[in-house]
Amino acid sequence: MAKPDFTSSGDVSADVVVVGSGVVGGMVANELAAAGHSVVILEAGLRLKRAEYVENWRNMSFHNRLHSDFQGLYPQSPLAQAPLYFPPNDYVGLSGPNGSAFKQGYLRTVGGTTWHWAASCWRHLPSDFEMKSRYGVGRDWAISYDELEPFYCRAEEEMGVSGPHDKALQSPQERSRPYPRDMIPFGYGDRRVAEIVNPHGFHLVPIPQGRSMEPFGDRPACCGNNNCQPICPIGAMYNGIQHIEKAESKGAVTIAEAVVYRIDTDENNRVTAVHWYDAHRQSHKATGKTFVLACNGIETPRLLLLAANARNPNGIANSSDQVGRNMMDHSGVHASFLANEPLWFGRGPAQSSCIVGPRDGDFRRDYSANKMILNNISRVAPATEQALKLGLVGKELDDEIRRRAACGVDLSISLEPLPDPENRLTLSKTRKDPLGLACPDIHYDVGDYVRKGLNAVTTQVKEIAGLMGGTELRITTDYNANNHIMGGTIMGRDPKDSVVDGNCRAHDHANLWIPGGGAMPSASVVNTTLSMAALGLKAADSIKAAFARGQA
Amino acid sequence: MKQKHRINPPLSGAFALAAATVLGFCTSAYAQSNGPDRNIAQRGHYLAIAADCAACHTAPGSTQPFAGGYGIASPLGSIYSTNITPSKEHGIGNYTEKEFAHALREGIRRDGAHLYPAMPYTSYTKLTDDDVHALYVYFMSEVKPVESTPQKTALPFPYNIRASMGIWNALFLDDTRFRPDPSKSAEVNRGHYLSYALAHCDTCHTPRNAMMAEKGASPLAGASLSSWYAPNITSDPVSGIGGWSSEDLFRYLKTGDVPGKAQAGGPMAEAIEHSFQYLDDADIRAMVSYIKQVPAISDSKDKAARESYGKASGRESVYRGLPANRISRGEYLFSGECAACHRPTGQGSPDGYYPQLFHNTAVGAPIADNLITTILMGVRREVNGHTTYMPGFGPGSYVDSLSDQDIADISNYVEQNFGNPNVRVTPDDVKLIRSGGPKPLIARLGALTVPAIIVALAGLALAIFFFIRLSRKAKA
Repeated sequence: MAKPDFTSSGDVSADVVVVGSGVVGGMVANELAAAGHSVVILEAGLRLKRAEYVENWRNMSFHNRLHSDFQGLYPQSPLAQAPLYFPPNDYVGLSGPNGSAFKQGYLRTVGGTTWHWAASCWRHLPSDFEMKSRYGVGRDWAISYDELEPFYCRAEEEMGVSGPHDKALQSPQERSRPYPRDMIPFGYGDRRVAEIVNPHGFHLVPIPQGRSMEPFGDRPACCGNNNCQPICPIGAMYNGIQHIEKAESKGAVTIAEAVVYRIDTDENNRVTAVHWYDAHRQSHKATGKTFVLACNGIETPRLLLLAANARNPNGIANSSDQVGRNMMDHSGVHASFLANEPLWFGRGPAQSSCIVGPRDGDFRRDYSANKMILNNISRVAPATEQALKLGLVGKELDDEIRRRAACGVDLSISLEPLPDPENRLTLSKTRKDPLGLACPDIHYDVGDYVRKGLNAVTTQVKEIAGLMGGTELRITTDYNANNHIMGGTIMGRDPKDSVVDGNCRAHDHANLWIPGGGAMPSASVVNTTLSMAALGLKAADSIKAAFARGQA
Repeated sequence: MKQKHRINPPLSGAFALAAATVLGFCTSAYAQSNGPDRNIAQRGHYLAIAADCAACHTAPGSTQPFAGGYGIASPLGSIYSTNITPSKEHGIGNYTEKEFAHALREGIRRDGAHLYPAMPYTSYTKLTDDDVHALYVYFMSEVKPVESTPQKTALPFPYNIRASMGIWNALFLDDTRFRPDPSKSAEVNRGHYLSYALAHCDTCHTPRNAMMAEKGASPLAGASLSSWYAPNITSDPVSGIGGWSSEDLFRYLKTGDVPGKAQAGGPMAEAIEHSFQYLDDADIRAMVSYIKQVPAISDSKDKAARESYGKASGRESVYRGLPANRISRGEYLFSGECAACHRPTGQGSPDGYYPQLFHNTAVGAPIADNLITTILMGVRREVNGHTTYMPGFGPGSYVDSLSDQDIADISNYVEQNFGNPNVRVTPDDVKLIRSGGPKPLIARLGALTVPAIIVALAGLALAIFFFIRLSRKAKA
């Protein structure tokens, strides 16, 4: 087993230095450790026990739970902040027409943000890779769906995804291998809604999920605790920490509370070292042959900009000036109503089924596609808040909570922004983190493409609510963030207008890979994690090939 | 999903012919036999299940039955099971029936080398000639040859001297066939035969002496088994299973799950998964009849039956909302790591998939080995095609990797609230279990002492041998 070398002063050298310990960093580290390379993983945040997150969530106030405070239960390293919203810590400065739509909830902790995801494991559609050539909007990827498809399969296998074996329920249907496990069975509500809306073209399908109904290897079966977000209490949901542990079992070493802030390059612009601050603000150096930045869509571009050096004055990997630009997320809205019959959402995992009818079509020349998740998080808390507002007490209150919890429907709707260089992450000139490093600022405008898409959504939601005898239909008026951060280190064939190539290798630095959501040139409307993981595995293969050629 | 073989019971011959006709689907591609030999081979198949050959000789998760390669944890090191398929090069394809019997009963391979008693020949020696024949026919005609040799056992010196097992056998192997006890019913005798000659219950449940031989004076009184503890299963109502009904025991052997009493984990779960669940109900009932009349062996330290301890907890309302430093670490960790499944009350889930913690033998036992091991390694049991699974909390756990201190804290909380309040667990206890459990004297002794003991025992064996010869001569 190859191990990194540590000096007595705490510096380290390894074949591969991975910055970031989430799903992408963990998978890349695991692949390369398995191939016999020494790997060190640097993570800015803390390493804590699941039990601590579980207890913090259980002890959280009703208000925070009701309003989905998925960040507050994860203790932060004092030197590595991440966004908090109860109350806001303004770590990320937001501006622009839709700045408030970019309130991302990401974690800086060993294991990363998949601690509090919902385990939706979607693939992009083949058309999502060719937005420009098919629909004349956005950008094409540097790779086709077919080139990424084998890595989608591998990512699904790594994460133990349950998805429909029935082709008619797959989105997309282009697959070379079946899902490792068949779909999580529909709950009553999913079945009932499908019966009602599918005849009208809405196409409700099961969400492919990183969990299973029977043990997946040593991972336990899901038993429907229904608080996948913000923490699966039993480890039945895939978490990035699982690949960190796998990588460690093969010799990789994780250093927590290691905030990387500087990147050294040589005369050929190869990366030679990264520097980090430890928990005592002492600086250390990690030298290596190959470097991987996997700090998700905000911290990666921030680090590239922070690490500007004499040879790379606009930031590392930024000769194109595209680092931090094209910031995207599935800006979305929620639609809620009371159906005229009990549907009992809230049994099983937090996400179960999704309407994908409006995912693709020629309309995408003009306006955004969408997908509508039939939110399966228990409706008891919102039902209680609504019933209390009615001033009810005693049995009447109980009955009303029960009625609203049983009949309540919440659609979480995602739209697809286009990559826009003006949607940009920059370094704050005024705000610094406790280490004196500039905080990120983000300017964001969802764009007319999304605004027009929302008009279509409104029409569709009204039709769905109508079919279900819905009352009290509410569609939120502000766009909300979905934590699917994309674009900041965008992929392309041309080094002049993109940051990385089709393997997520930096155009500017032959031994630097930047896999993950930041590379994605189109957002599609589906959750990004599986695509991020597939890009990570593709990058890992290209790193292995580079080692084999002696170029890593 | 495991294929379920339902084959006529060997010991209730009345069904044999009828069943053999019905069960024609068992014909395998490798069957060379037909007619009466088919029946014998089918009986041999059933016997191989009852003897649980696959538990060791089929590696977990392997698709190659009886190809070996499973590392059996022993206090002396891993002992790897061998390929017992009829491959001539890698398996037992060249064995004559006599050689097969010799290995099965005396623990001596075709090449004359001794087996370690991880292979329970000390039990199989009780097999009848007919059953050995049936097993031989089955292995030779129905098992698919696998052309590969699994990892070889390499115990450290001096345990790698297989010849020393000859002396051990002279001292400890009772090389005689099963003899029914005419004072017992046919069912009890059948159960006795099944439990010893085939299921080899004694291999785990009978304590062993300093040389790792079973103590003849305390059969089934409970023994340490690497990290697990195979409890006292004599009929004593406090120390053993005397308080269990026949129905409880039947259900336990068939499913490994008796709500409110016990759930099988570790090697017992394997025995149920690979063997007992497939046995004929009549055979399981015979084993129950036998076990229920095994003479009670009581330990005066045991105050109450292990399944009698504990009750539901109401503690959550006391600790919920308190910061971590205001509640005990055991309670905090129990709540965060365990209570999502076993519930804060310890009642488990209504369907019993997550068992209740009180009135649970693993928690109420006088020693915490099985509680600690369950936390460390989890439980996996596949019965009727359905997997019951609890993840372990050892290194690489999908839930959390817990330290020795963490597991000691949780164990003490669980014992105090749901189990045997006299039990205390220290981090060193957990460390010992993590490293493979308590070691017998022979494994603790240094490399120099053991050869000395072997030489001394050899002398002793020789002396006994000559003494017997002399006395026989004297009688003659």
